[in-house]
Amino acid sequence: MTGQEKKAFILLLPVMLVIGTLFVGGLLLGLLRSFNYMPVIGLDDPSLDAYARVFANDEFWTALALSLYISVVSTAIATVLAVASALVLRETFKGKRIVTFLFQLNLTIPHVVGAVAILLLLSQSGFLARLGYFGGLIERPSDFPAMVYDDWYLGVIVQYVWKETPFIGLITLAILQSVGADYEAVAQSLGANRWRRLTQVVLPLIAPGVMRAQIVAFAFTFGAFEVPYLLGKTFPTVLPVLAYQRYTDVDLGLRPEAMAMGIVIAAVSTVLILGYMALSRRLGRT
Amino acid sequence: MPSTSLSGRGARAALTSIATAGAIIAGIATAPLAQADDVAAMNWDQLVAAGKGKTVNWYMWGGSAKINAYVSDWVNPQMQQRYGITVNRVAIDSTVDAVNKVLGEKEAGVTSGGSVDMIWINGRNFQTMKQAGMLTCGYMEKMPNNANINWQDPTIAFDFGIPVDGCETPWGRAQMVVVYDKARTPNPPTSLEGLLAWAKANPGRFTYPALPDFTGMFFVKHVLYHEAGEYKPFIGGFDQTVFDGVAPKVWTTLRELEPSLWRKGETYPTDRAAMHQLFANGEVDFTLATHPDSVGSDIESGTFPPTTGSYVLDGGTVGDVHYVAIPFNSANKAAAIVLANFLISPEAQYEKSRPEVWGVRTALDLTRVPAEWATKFANLPRHPAVVDDAALARGALPQPNSEWIKPLEDGWREEVLKK
Repeated sequence: MTGQEKKAFILLLPVMLVIGTLFVGGLLLGLLRSFNYMPVIGLDDPSLDAYARVFANDEFWTALALSLYISVVSTAIATVLAVASALVLRETFKGKRIVTFLFQLNLTIPHVVGAVAILLLLSQSGFLARLGYFGGLIERPSDFPAMVYDDWYLGVIVQYVWKETPFIGLITLAILQSVGADYEAVAQSLGANRWRRLTQVVLPLIAPGVMRAQIVAFAFTFGAFEVPYLLGKTFPTVLPVLAYQRYTDVDLGLRPEAMAMGIVIAAVSTVLILGYMALSRRLGRT
Repeated sequence: MPSTSLSGRGARAALTSIATAGAIIAGIATAPLAQADDVAAMNWDQLVAAGKGKTVNWYMWGGSAKINAYVSDWVNPQMQQRYGITVNRVAIDSTVDAVNKVLGEKEAGVTSGGSVDMIWINGRNFQTMKQAGMLTCGYMEKMPNNANINWQDPTIAFDFGIPVDGCETPWGRAQMVVVYDKARTPNPPTSLEGLLAWAKANPGRFTYPALPDFTGMFFVKHVLYHEAGEYKPFIGGFDQTVFDGVAPKVWTTLRELEPSLWRKGETYPTDRAAMHQLFANGEVDFTLATHPDSVGSDIESGTFPPTTGSYVLDGGTVGDVHYVAIPFNSANKAAAIVLANFLISPEAQYEKSRPEVWGVRTALDLTRVPAEWATKFANLPRHPAVVDDAALARGALPQPNSEWIKPLEDGWREEVLKK
């Protein structure tokens, strides 16, 4: 180890210790419990029973599919909106500072607060429904289309798109600024029109960075609990809510199943993230 | 750590080492308190002396400003003044959070000096903690105010059919009432049968919270009693034959109800708060309250319209008692016992029963308290929308034994929610 490396190691040690104990320690304890090991309630023979029970349950597969659907759809929509906004925001125009400020404002708002806002806005007795009532469009609350607690998890997706767009957008904006305008200028001098400059120069240049931002957004929405808990249907529900239901069941014997679901969430996220990172590296090389 | 090997021995060794480390740390931290912790051998005066200067960490549901204020702004100063004990209210979303905390400590080998000193609890959480040996028991007789409690009353001595066995102190009573708006529904159905028929005749205007929510469970219990024609079979332990006989009728009734429910029963409100919101917004015409007096305070606070009324169904509604319990590893057991005793004093119960404070029914036997207190309780003002004591007492049905709850929950999920 060189002197420089040693110094970096020592400086990073406190952070690594905290992460090591809390995160890895928590993960290991979760893993132990998911193997049906919980001596305090008489489970002291490790086994894969909890996983077997989880995988044999249709509710689990539905929840997994639903979680994937919500994460994929909301991340995809947010990416399109984010890249489009970033391309607009990098131009100079009047009032740019205010627009940029408004664009990133909701990054500071917690997800739970956002979810309650969506509820007040979109529910059948929410703000839009009331406007519809006063405007004579609907006669009773149930005439307003169901956008929360609905089959398609619209409210949940709207909330995630609302929250993820500025997140991916700001990262894209930073990448665009670091890439600069040189490549585009070259392409323009070679006769590329706006569309070709966008699709063949700008987008390939920013794609690896945007994909990394997508990974963070995807992993978050896949593992998040509070928004689908507040805005989602009772059944079917997403994987984190299902795990929470198992974990808070008064039957302590269900804790290993809750832990097994937690481990599955972590494993699926890890696999997808690794795969996506490999893909973005390959894109970055070409 | 050998936990990379998934063999039983490896995993067990890993956990044992974690537990040992935890126990050692806990042992060091609480060594000077070890003697003061031994409450079993203490009499009342010794308990009061041992509790002095301590802080009781009381884990309780924190969703009501009134309840929070009662504990923080009234109980706490009283305890400080009388006993030099500080009451630290720890707000939680759900009692199970506190149960999980104690369980985690038990797993880590923290058998004394635990962080939870008192929990507001009842029903299945009590059953869980009692079964896992996570409670301090047998201190009732030491408390002078225990004389105010009628332990012969089965609704007190059994918490959801589980014998209390001196492991928790009764703190208050609740009973389900049906809440409606006189302006919208001048003649509400008075029986459960009538309510179900009303729901079918008025599609989309009735619902109940999804199980395992407490209030949703109250409703399903009523349907269970209704289908069985009596409550008696459910007071004892779980009986598969009885369950198999009546459960299909319960599911059929609830499934037949589904198309007439709010959102056609495709989804249900998550909890009581969500259903109250639907009622307040006019999306449904009824809601259910498990604390009869909360109806009055919800009208006063503007949550419910002033034309709201409430009533007990013909044939009665399920009532229950809530308690406070002390975990087995509480760091301040003596102080917690002194607090539990104060909570069942006539003063503390009267304050809690005042409508502007909390307005919950007392757990005390009013024939056992001094006469002047009995009179004060009898003269407590009631909000006009709140059902009077006589009507509640006429229609109080006991809770089923908690062993019935899990099969009901699971059955409801499989047979009603998923179908």
